[in-house]
Amino acid sequence: MALNDSRATARPSRTAVSLTWLAVTAIVCAGGAAGATALFYSLTPAAAGATCAGGATAGNLSLTDDLGRCVTVPFDPARVAVLSPSIMDTVYRLGLRAHVVAVDCYATALGGLYDDYSSDQVALWNLTPSMCVQVAPVFTLEDLANATPDLVLASTIVSQTAVAQIGSVLGLPVVMLQPPDLEGILRDVTLLAEIFGVATNATILNSQLSVELANASAARATFSTTPSVLVTYSVDSNGYWTYGAGTFGTSLVTLAGATSISATNSNPYPELPAETVLADNPAIVVYGTGFGLNESYYTTAPDWSSLPAVQGGHVYGIDSNYLTEPDPSMILDGLPALLAIFHP
Amino acid sequence: MDPRGPTDPAPRRSYRWLWLLVAGLPGLAFVSPLFGPTAIPAGVVLQVLGHELTGGLLFPNPCAGASLPDSCSTYFVIVWQIRVPAVLLAIGVGAALGISGGTLQGLFRNPLADPFLLGISSGGTLGAVIVFVFFIGSPQVTAALPLFAFAGALATGLVMLAVARSRVGSVETLLLAGVGLSSLLSSIVAFLLIYNRQASTQITDWLLGSVAGGTWPEVGITFLVLLAVSFLLLLHSRELNLIQLGNDVAQSVGVDPSRVRVRLILLASLATATAVAFAGIIGFVGLVAPHVIRRLVAVDYRAVLAGSLVVGAVFLLAAWDIDLFFAELPIGIFTAFVGVPFFLAILFRRSERSTMGGG
Amino acid sequence: MTGDEPLALEVRDLVVRFGSRAALVGVSFRVRAGEFVALVGPNGSGKTTLLRTALGFLQPSEGHARIFGDRVEELTPLERARRVAWVPQDEPMRDNVPLLDYVAYGRYAHRGMLEGESVGDRRLALRLLDEVGLGARAADGVLSVSGGERQRAILARALAQEPRLLLLDEPTTHLDIGHQLDLLGRVRALSRSRGVTVVAALHDLNLAARFAGRLVVLSHGRRVADGPPTEVLSEDLLARVWGVSADLERDRRTGLPYLVPHQITVTAPRTFPSPFVGPVHVVGGGGAAAPILRGLSEQGYRVTAGALHLLDSDAEVAEALGIPSAIESPFAPLGPEVRVQHRTLLAAARAIVIAPFAVGPSNLANLEDLLPYVSQVPTLLVRLPPIAERDFTGGRAEAIVAELRAAGARNVDDLTGVLAALRAELAVSPSAAGVPPPAPA
Repeated sequence: MALNDSRATARPSRTAVSLTWLAVTAIVCAGGAAGATALFYSLTPAAAGATCAGGATAGNLSLTDDLGRCVTVPFDPARVAVLSPSIMDTVYRLGLRAHVVAVDCYATALGGLYDDYSSDQVALWNLTPSMCVQVAPVFTLEDLANATPDLVLASTIVSQTAVAQIGSVLGLPVVMLQPPDLEGILRDVTLLAEIFGVATNATILNSQLSVELANASAARATFSTTPSVLVTYSVDSNGYWTYGAGTFGTSLVTLAGATSISATNSNPYPELPAETVLADNPAIVVYGTGFGLNESYYTTAPDWSSLPAVQGGHVYGIDSNYLTEPDPSMILDGLPALLAIFHP
Repeated sequence: MDPRGPTDPAPRRSYRWLWLLVAGLPGLAFVSPLFGPTAIPAGVVLQVLGHELTGGLLFPNPCAGASLPDSCSTYFVIVWQIRVPAVLLAIGVGAALGISGGTLQGLFRNPLADPFLLGISSGGTLGAVIVFVFFIGSPQVTAALPLFAFAGALATGLVMLAVARSRVGSVETLLLAGVGLSSLLSSIVAFLLIYNRQASTQITDWLLGSVAGGTWPEVGITFLVLLAVSFLLLLHSRELNLIQLGNDVAQSVGVDPSRVRVRLILLASLATATAVAFAGIIGFVGLVAPHVIRRLVAVDYRAVLAGSLVVGAVFLLAAWDIDLFFAELPIGIFTAFVGVPFFLAILFRRSERSTMGGG
Repeated sequence: MTGDEPLALEVRDLVVRFGSRAALVGVSFRVRAGEFVALVGPNGSGKTTLLRTALGFLQPSEGHARIFGDRVEELTPLERARRVAWVPQDEPMRDNVPLLDYVAYGRYAHRGMLEGESVGDRRLALRLLDEVGLGARAADGVLSVSGGERQRAILARALAQEPRLLLLDEPTTHLDIGHQLDLLGRVRALSRSRGVTVVAALHDLNLAARFAGRLVVLSHGRRVADGPPTEVLSEDLLARVWGVSADLERDRRTGLPYLVPHQITVTAPRTFPSPFVGPVHVVGGGGAAAPILRGLSEQGYRVTAGALHLLDSDAEVAEALGIPSAIESPFAPLGPEVRVQHRTLLAAARAIVIAPFAVGPSNLANLEDLLPYVSQVPTLLVRLPPIAERDFTGGRAEAIVAELRAAGARNVDDLTGVLAALRAELAVSPSAAGVPPPAPA
């Protein structure tokens, strides 16, 4: 009977198929897991910190960067890619501009060079669009490859995924420079000087920085009052974006002899509602300029004109770069500017 | 009552389109490495491709001669280590999203279903965000990102699987549970990102989707998973055809709908999670690819699944090429740019034909 | 298989509950191989639940169903599908799948996962399509064919499973009378030629009596009667189970019983006879004319109707309103006698209204007979729903309607349009004829 025949043949093949199905699924999962694990280890850089002996061997140098990674770099590389405006400032002040072959940029369609660098910086450092390495919104590895650097200096504006690819695909050493505090800026100066063998320049620069920091400390001891300050870098209809605890903006304000009303906010970049600002009643308002922002932009903030500081004319603009970019300029230019505002 | 229901005078479909796409894919894949931010002579690109693809047998290494001594090795790296993996990743990810979309649209009998319907994107995003929030700065981040994104995406898929297996797991319940879970995960992501600005800047390109960072190991894993999953999914195309007739009919013909559902969700999640792990969130491909096939080729799921695979691959590759023409932006932005006009054209083609009476 | 053939379907002490409500309360019966059994009963009596339980879609809380000796829940979905197939009321089709593919879907249970459809499968599908009269339309999509054809395709798909038991759940609900007869006739013929046992839930008692060898009557989830139609159907049973008082008559050709319900409630009795307005003739069928008949009567028009089938709801309304009509016995094509009667009524009419009725081969003559009269008296053609949607004659009805239009028939949208047009055409307003204007709707 035809019915029974087809049943007899279909049944075992179906069982076999179910087993095949299970087996293939198991293999896929196992393969996927194995592959992922292999990828994990192949992309994991060498263990950090403790084992990084330091010192130079045959034109190379091993050092520990700001993220605790041990990196082996060529000594005094001729071609270097600088993927952060703050590092560019240090490199320039150490007299290393001639080594720079590439800098970080935003997508050309979205501002390019000028999204990351002010026009003053572009002019001063003689940056050109041909040096662009697109770091955002997508990191373009090809730009970097085409610049053929020997060394890449980067901050965390370059995603960690991209950093790993620079190493794994292009085989280039990447030194991450992301100082955790003001002291870290001086350490990075030393680190860079070590790579390029410009110890003298570093000593001079670091002494300038130390003098500026010491001056500020000394001045602070003489101030009878520390004014309360609102430092804002952006506003919207809800309130004021500002710096919280542990940020360079807050440290700098404290060092300049004032107290930021958001100094103890646990969120590093909190938005203060307008009513909080009114209640805290800062004596001085400092707003960030640059990238097209000026005072008229900040007057759109809620209750701007009700602030006593605004009514009293205690409103000052300062280049945002001084507050956010952890580089020598922050100490040499930003700190004196804030001191002049708080204690004229 | 009109016994025929809403009539669809069937626009003329033909497999010609499918073969056209199948033939177009390798061609497009071959010219794609010609584009990029760096101007590299086409001859060099083709020589590199020829040299590597033939294992160095047919074409000599273009950098061995003295003609292009300096930049040549750079070009070699750019073409073979950067451009080709990106192109292949676009193909693999597009194919994975396409076939997942076809599967889920069939499974849910819903033309708006896409690979992210089950909360898979939100799950993957949460995985990625967790990496950046809790492991930022640790050297393991890079390797952990795809692993966590994959785990998050797959875990969400498995939760939905549990819903599907439960007694209440009707198609509607599953859809609603997916939407609900998706919202919950998105809220958690938003919450974590608000408190971690550094993480949010790191994750932008991931959220918008990108194949730019494709590497050979990623390409290898993607294609391995794709191969296995597609094979298994295609085995289920007849069940999908029957599920279109409703659960009861499918059951009466011998399909075990709940079992099929579990398998298909597992497979689609696996494919989507892999795509998400390496390329982030790329929308629209999985939604559109099945429709293209259903409109142009056939409504039979044997064709829909195989076709979605090809259309997804061609579509994402085309988006990638156009992306390169403009600037290298997240590719997720371009899928909609490329997709919507094309999609509308197909929709209008259909209504034009229905006024003609079709045939 | 040892000794005697196992029962095709055995249902024992079946109890199925939906929450606290019991849909089936201890139903038992047996179906021998080769039988054609109709499950009948009023809406909600448990017919569908019984079939779904027999198919294993529902789990009974007590009792069980066996298919050819095995309990249905113990069969794998594939084993079950090779024994029993299902023809639902309708299928939620979204895709315009070619009929041949669609029928071949039924081969699923006979194919392993790695096997595709074989040539044999396609051949079987094609043969089945031939057998249900769709051989020439194998390449057409399921959404492109008419309701009757689609239902036949569903039948062919079920038969492609090569089942030994076929369960049909009100398969004729969406069909007009001609297609109802056609489909069940084919089921009966195919079940005989292929030795398939048939259990069909049917709500139309006349159809059930005509085709099934045995009726199982369900009421409130219980089996209340079981046996050949001639024994089971009684006026008493109809009153008890359906709450309908009806006359049970015998078809003069087949000798089978058919019932004529006569308890029709009419909300608006004829109160304003209007001797001034000559008869308005309404052509209808299948309930399409009922609102028009009522509306015209209420407005005081003298109304005639035709040609209707006896069990048709239009015929019932006409009878209840005392409207003279040309009536044919149920299911039959319009015979010469009735057509003569119909033409007499048409000849006497001052105006003709063509209701939007479904046109099949059995009542196409209704339209054909109209042609000579359209040019003589005002004729109103109720336009909606469009003729294309209710033409089951392969376009012939549509062609005749076009001819009628050409001959002077006027399109109107609905009853309101009919009334307005009649008022204008006959130049007699109901109020002028002593009838108060209708209350605002």
